[in-house]
Formats: sequence, structure tokens, C-alpha cells
Amino acid sequence: MAMWTVREQNLAALLTAGTFSERYVPVPVNGSGGFARWTGGTELARPLRAPRSEDALKAFCFSPTQVVARYGGETKTAESEPVAPTPLRLVVGLRACDLAAVRYLDRVFTSPPGNDPFYEAGRASQTIVSVDCVRPHETCFCNLVGGQPWATEGFDVNLTPIEGAYVIEAGSQAGRALIEAAGDCVVEATPEDLARRDQVRHQAEEALASANGAFAADWKPRDGVAHDADSAAWDRLGADCVECGACTQICPTCHCFFLCDRAADGRSFERLRGWDSCLWSGYSRMAGMDRMKPNPRAQFRSRFANRFLHKFVWSPQQWDLLGCVGCGRCVEACPGAIDLRKVMCEVQV
Amino acid sequence: MMSSNPYQPTLARLCEVIEETPTIKTFVVEPPEPFSFKAGQFAQLTVPGVGEAPFTPSSDPDEPDRLEFTVIRTGRVTDVLHTLKPGDAVGLRGPFGTGYPIDEMQDRHVLIVGGGCGLAPLRSLIYALFHQMDRIRSMSIRYGARESRELLYHRLYEPWADKPKVEVACTIDRPEPGWSGHVGVVTTLLENLNGQAAETIAISCGPEIMLKFVTATLLERGLPADRIILSMNRRMNCGIGKCGRCNIGPYYLCREGPDIHYDKIKDLPNVF
Repeated sequence: MAMWTVREQNLAALLTAGTFSERYVPVPVNGSGGFARWTGGTELARPLRAPRSEDALKAFCFSPTQVVARYGGETKTAESEPVAPTPLRLVVGLRACDLAAVRYLDRVFTSPPGNDPFYEAGRASQTIVSVDCVRPHETCFCNLVGGQPWATEGFDVNLTPIEGAYVIEAGSQAGRALIEAAGDCVVEATPEDLARRDQVRHQAEEALASANGAFAADWKPRDGVAHDADSAAWDRLGADCVECGACTQICPTCHCFFLCDRAADGRSFERLRGWDSCLWSGYSRMAGMDRMKPNPRAQFRSRFANRFLHKFVWSPQQWDLLGCVGCGRCVEACPGAIDLRKVMCEVQV
Repeated sequence: MMSSNPYQPTLARLCEVIEETPTIKTFVVEPPEPFSFKAGQFAQLTVPGVGEAPFTPSSDPDEPDRLEFTVIRTGRVTDVLHTLKPGDAVGLRGPFGTGYPIDEMQDRHVLIVGGGCGLAPLRSLIYALFHQMDRIRSMSIRYGARESRELLYHRLYEPWADKPKVEVACTIDRPEPGWSGHVGVVTTLLENLNGQAAETIAISCGPEIMLKFVTATLLERGLPADRIILSMNRRMNCGIGKCGRCNIGPYYLCREGPDIHYDKIKDLPNVF
């Protein structure tokens, strides 16, 4: 496999090559940062060597709120809401955990009995430049869920930061085209570059293993717990949960949503799709009288358990993938300091 | 009928509204093009500007150009639905779900157990089976409501019972003076399965508490869990297994249900 290297000072030339209408890069905001539009000005050396972003990237293809249909009006006919053409986007800086999440959402949104055309349009317009993690967060634990701090698939181009340069790997035709468009600023990688890449990866792997030594185990929930979301153990583990839903909003694989209708212009109506959270008490509440038990997860512990059981027990059955990619964003976001790793250690076999 | 945008409703004309009970109405809808569905599959019915709720048509799947939805008034969408008049527009999406496993009813006694408005989706199954009575050994309909005035489709029981191989029994919880029929919850109509448990398949729809006791009773009568099919009540929203909220364990009822074999879910949390 051909590998290339780009010097730090030429990285911008590589990333501004190609014909993209929008480019997004990680930016340091309040620490490890989010993503912002980039036109080539700001430096990338620091953000690309920082831990993964605070924000998950699902919003690029799965908007927090979006109009997905319009209907009504004078003609009394419904016209399909056209899926707006998404501008061609280059998204730079995704990590291996982010790509694992993309793989998960691809499976959810593009599977029978119906594909989500809005998600599909977002994905089709996206070219991904991933980057190896050289400095994991203290909350990162991809190594505990079958991952590692570098990507082996799912990217168009992958960058491994080494000193003063990046080793480049192409993962698709679009990636090779970007590398070719960059011209002379990209050179073939030397054996020394590749040795440094291996070294960087090894160091990141070691850092993760030592940070997570206390949690390393087989996270298969015990039968008794997996089959009993009413077990008091879940109450104890979720005692500090305030049901804010931050963990589900920030999670790169959580994809629950609701549809709601509203008046658009007095004559027609529009249907909005918005992110939801299985932790919220109204999430699965149905219409009906109270005594009909219209909320199958009326108890907090049932909702709390559902989040973990879905990710670790049911997702593998549904999608042949774990629902957790080990990014640790939920650990970081939780105001109650609930650590998914501790919860899973407590409920494992 | 599924458009390329699965969230887009197709507008349809409401052509008739039938008052069934004090709280239940049947809405007859003419879709702009035939809405083909299998008995047990459901549609998302939109009340324009208010929102959607999932309903299984109560009409004959052989009549895809004239759908009936029998709906109890019990929430935000159905409160407004119940005020609609013939000529008003409603939206339709679907059909969704798998439909009743009619193939599994081949050569069996089919026991249909309904409670309250739960007879509505079962009626589409009853109609579907009427077209193929030679495939099944018999059909027993067991239905319960709270009061006599809440007995859904009560004018149909006699014509149904007049058909060969069909038996209908109904019961109410709260008898009023003059009621000469059976009194008790619907499980009291399951005292014996005519000694045919080994060849019986049961399909039940009703409030969750009823499904729970029907299931317990049927298991006690010797029916295996994989021949008890329950219309589980969950909040189905997207209809295509994406939005997540209708799960029982790994099953999204909008995709794998809404009718599901009890053996699949019996060990999962929050079933009843």
C-alpha cells in the first residue's frame, strides 16, 4: 500500500486541495474543542494532536432539528420535502472512535425497511480525513470496546501525526484524488516515517491501556442484570443521574429522535425531526389512561438500564455492532460524574 | 405507498365517520392510491398540524382503497381526530410492521382474544381469515369490554358466529340491569380451549394489563409461548426502526411487530 508524508507547513495545502465548498476542522474551544468552518487560515498542528473533540460529529448528517416533510396547503396534496443538496464537505480530524460511530449510524439509517434520505445525503457529500489519537483523554476507552486509537477503515484519508509531519494513508478513491490534487507538497513516506508512525501508535495504545487498567474486563452484563432492568442495582448505579440526557446528546451513536408537526405558514404544515433521549421520562410514554400503564419505562432505573443494555446487549443483536465506541464523551459530559466504565464493571458477568 | 421520503405523509380524504361506542369512532379513509397492507400492519395517521399516531386498519386488507381505522379517544392526536368530519383531510404513512403471521395459522385452531378497542386490529385479521377459512381448523373470537355500551362492532358478532367454523363469545366487567350475557374479564372466556391447546394458536390485542393476564392464562392452559402472539403497545413513531422508542429489548415493534411472539420477549425487561 502506498503511503505518503506531508510536512507540517504543507498540511494546509493538502487540506485545501480538491473542490470542496466547506471544510471543517477541530478547533480548541474550552479545552479539547469542537469543529468549525475552516478556510485555511488557522493552524492545525495543535488541534490535530489534541484529544478527540468534545462534540460528536453525528450532527453533520443527522441534524439536531430538521424539517423532514411538509404537507397540507390549498391544494390538499402533500409534496415530498426535497432533500436539500448538501454542500460537498471535507471533515478533518475524526478519530477512530468517531469512524466506528459513523459505521454504526450508517447501519441504522440505511437499512430496511426504509433508508433515511437526509442522513444519506449528508454522508454522500462527506469526505473524511481522520487522524490518529496521539494523546487520548483520561475518559477515552476505545481499547475496552474492541477499538484502538487509530483507524483502519472508514476514512478517505488518514493522518498520523509524527514530529513535524503527518504520515498519510488513502482509504478510498476520493482520498487518493485529494492526495493527487495536493501535488508536490505530498511525498512518498520513507521507512523512517513509517517507523515513527508505528511508534506513535504504540505509545497511544500504551497510554490507553494504562489509563484503563482498572476497568479492563469483559463487559458482558450478567444475565440477571441484563434481563431485569428493574433490578435495584440500576438505581444504585444511577443514583447521581439527574436525567439531563447530556450523555445521549453527546454520544456519537445515540440516534433516538421524535417527529412533531407544526404550522408552517398558516396554510401548510411541517414535520420536524429532533433528537430525543431514552433517559427522559416522556420518551416512551403513550396516550392512554394511567391505569393502562402507558409508559413501559416509567421507572428511572428502567430507563437508565435501557441505555446500557441497548449499547452492550441489544445493539450487537440488532446491528452486529456494539453501541459504544469508547469515546468517553458521556463520562465527560455527565454532571453526576457517572462513569460508563464503572457501571459496566459493576454489571458484568 | 412508501415514498422515497419515509417521513412524508400522503394526504387522504376522510369519507365517513362511524360512532361505535361513546369513546370509539371508526374513520373511513379513501387514500389517493390503494394502500396495500397485510392484516396487522399499521399506518401512521396524521391529523394535519397536530401530529401522528399509529393505528392498524380494522378493515379488510382486500379493500386497499377504502381503509377503516377504529380509534379510541385518549390523547393529544385522537382528541382532535375525533372532531374531524367527512371531507376533512388526514395524512397516511406506511404500511409498517410485519403483519400477523397468517402462515403459522395453517391447520390450527385460531383463538382471537380482544379487549376494548383491541378488537379493531383483530378485525382485519378476522376478515383476512374469512377469505381462507379452508386453511384453518376453526376460529374462536373471545372479546371483553367494560360495559355493554362499549362492546365494539356488536352488530357483527352474530353474522360472524353464523359462519362455519367460527365461534364468538363476549363478556363485560360491569353488567347493568337487563344484561343476560357473560360477566367477567376476558380471561374467564378462556376456561378451556375446547381441549385443543396442542393445535391452537392465539392472537391477542388489548390493554397491556389484559395481555399480561391473557398470556398467563394461555400458558396455564398449555399453550406454548411461541404460539401466543401479542399486539404489544409501544410508542411507534418513525415506523422504520430508526427513532428507537418502540423497543422491547432488541426488537423495534414498528419493524418486528407490532404483533410479536411471546417467547421472543418473555425474558426481556419492561414487557408488561
